[in-house]
Amino acid sequence: MLSAIGRAFRTPDLRRKLLFTLGIMTIYRVGVFIPAPGVDYGNVQQCLALGNTSGGLYQFVNLFSGGALLQVSIFALGIMPYITASIIVQLLRVVIPRFQELHQEGPQGQSKLTQYTRYLTIALGLLNATTLVSLARSGALLGNCPVPIIPEDNLVVISLIILTLTAGTGLIMWMGELITEKGVGNGMSLLIFISIAAGFPSSLGEIWNTQGVNVFLGVLLVGLLTVAAVVFVEQSQRRIPVQYAKRMVGRRTVGGTSTYIPIKVNMAGVIPVIFASSMLYLPSLIAQFNTPTDGTTAPPEWVNWINTYLVSGDSPFYMAVYFSLIVFFTYFYVAITFNPEEVAENMKKYGGFIPGIRAGRPTAEYLQYVLARITLPGALYLGIISLIPLIALVLINANQNFPFGGVSILIMVGVGLETVKQINAQLQQRHYEGLLR
Amino acid sequence: MEALKITLQILLGITSLLLTLLILLHKGRGGGMSDMFGGGMTTSLGSSGVAERNLNRFTVVLGLVWGTVIVALGLMMRFSAES
Repeated sequence: MLSAIGRAFRTPDLRRKLLFTLGIMTIYRVGVFIPAPGVDYGNVQQCLALGNTSGGLYQFVNLFSGGALLQVSIFALGIMPYITASIIVQLLRVVIPRFQELHQEGPQGQSKLTQYTRYLTIALGLLNATTLVSLARSGALLGNCPVPIIPEDNLVVISLIILTLTAGTGLIMWMGELITEKGVGNGMSLLIFISIAAGFPSSLGEIWNTQGVNVFLGVLLVGLLTVAAVVFVEQSQRRIPVQYAKRMVGRRTVGGTSTYIPIKVNMAGVIPVIFASSMLYLPSLIAQFNTPTDGTTAPPEWVNWINTYLVSGDSPFYMAVYFSLIVFFTYFYVAITFNPEEVAENMKKYGGFIPGIRAGRPTAEYLQYVLARITLPGALYLGIISLIPLIALVLINANQNFPFGGVSILIMVGVGLETVKQINAQLQQRHYEGLLR
Repeated sequence: MEALKITLQILLGITSLLLTLLILLHKGRGGGMSDMFGGGMTTSLGSSGVAERNLNRFTVVLGLVWGTVIVALGLMMRFSAES
């Protein structure tokens, strides 16, 4: 393993790629600590030290930006606008026929879709930046902190901050694309990966400080087991055999090979979890808008109900809703991304068939059947993994961003596996032994 | 000091706008969500031509200027507040 890492760095081509990736990551992390112009860094730190920011609406977004959001740094918005834009574009494929056409066109149409995603990212970045700045101005961002975050409160400074934050979003997007193009792995997911990884030491240290060594070791053990389980499920797939008929194209014989269609247990990845979490934020947002501010009049009955059952993660009702939402979204997302009819059609076109099943509609039905059955354990697994932080919240009073569980661990393991696989492929172009055996 | 600050602020505004525009001019890589979190093959095509390379160079330079201006503004704010 270690010698493989050494070999990776001795290969000039691969070394350049790895160093490039590391360099971009460093720039990204440095940018997280540079405050946006007009924001008083000292005051922000003071407010953060007061520490009544936990449990808020922004925790999730803050996790994705590696703590940059609450510091109002130039990369405060992080990769979130890009994620939102990709989700929107992908979902619009179902609604707008033109997007579906572009998707089916292959690489050409795909690059057009990517271009739309990029424009949408900048638009969303502008929107998010405005929201963030207005929150920071009113002081609601850092839990009603007494010292002003933006001391010089005039139109010029405010619009400058918004412009800078938008440019920062664009820059992050570009850096991610540069990694995808010239480095190893997928840039966007690697940037999310380091943002989440950067939060690990501090939250682990917090557990050590507040709960003692025994709980800390227990958490580590559970964490390692979870990681092993996640790796196991992520790697598992069902291989449906496909036989290709021999045929003549011109003077050459084509086909006659047998391959398989891999159907992963967890085809949807972490996206269902992200969807479900954002859906569950909506009720608490509505409740927040409808709470009277003067403090004397009691809030309406249904606001109270939302506050007890749908805001904090320790009520069983919340967990049940969360779980069922995740299961639903897993099926939903798999249905969007994997189209059995399309696959069957393609197989028929190139003379392929699944042994024992006729080409065309029976194949599509068979694929649909297998897919529906294999997604069930996948959905249950996603739900259980996402419930881990909530259960930990009840058991050991950890904060809601419990490091080993939920979105963070799914993303960490997924991205890690993917990147190591890519490095492996690069290594094997020269030698036969990769990082993993 | 005030004049320098205003100049820097104007510079920051211009560079931010230009940077956003230049980044939008780039060709996008990667294919959205399914590409990001596992699944799917990444087809990495090589960089295309001189235009893209020059664009890269411009963007890097502009990014550096942008970063420097922000740091300078931040430093000025820090020290003018303390004195």
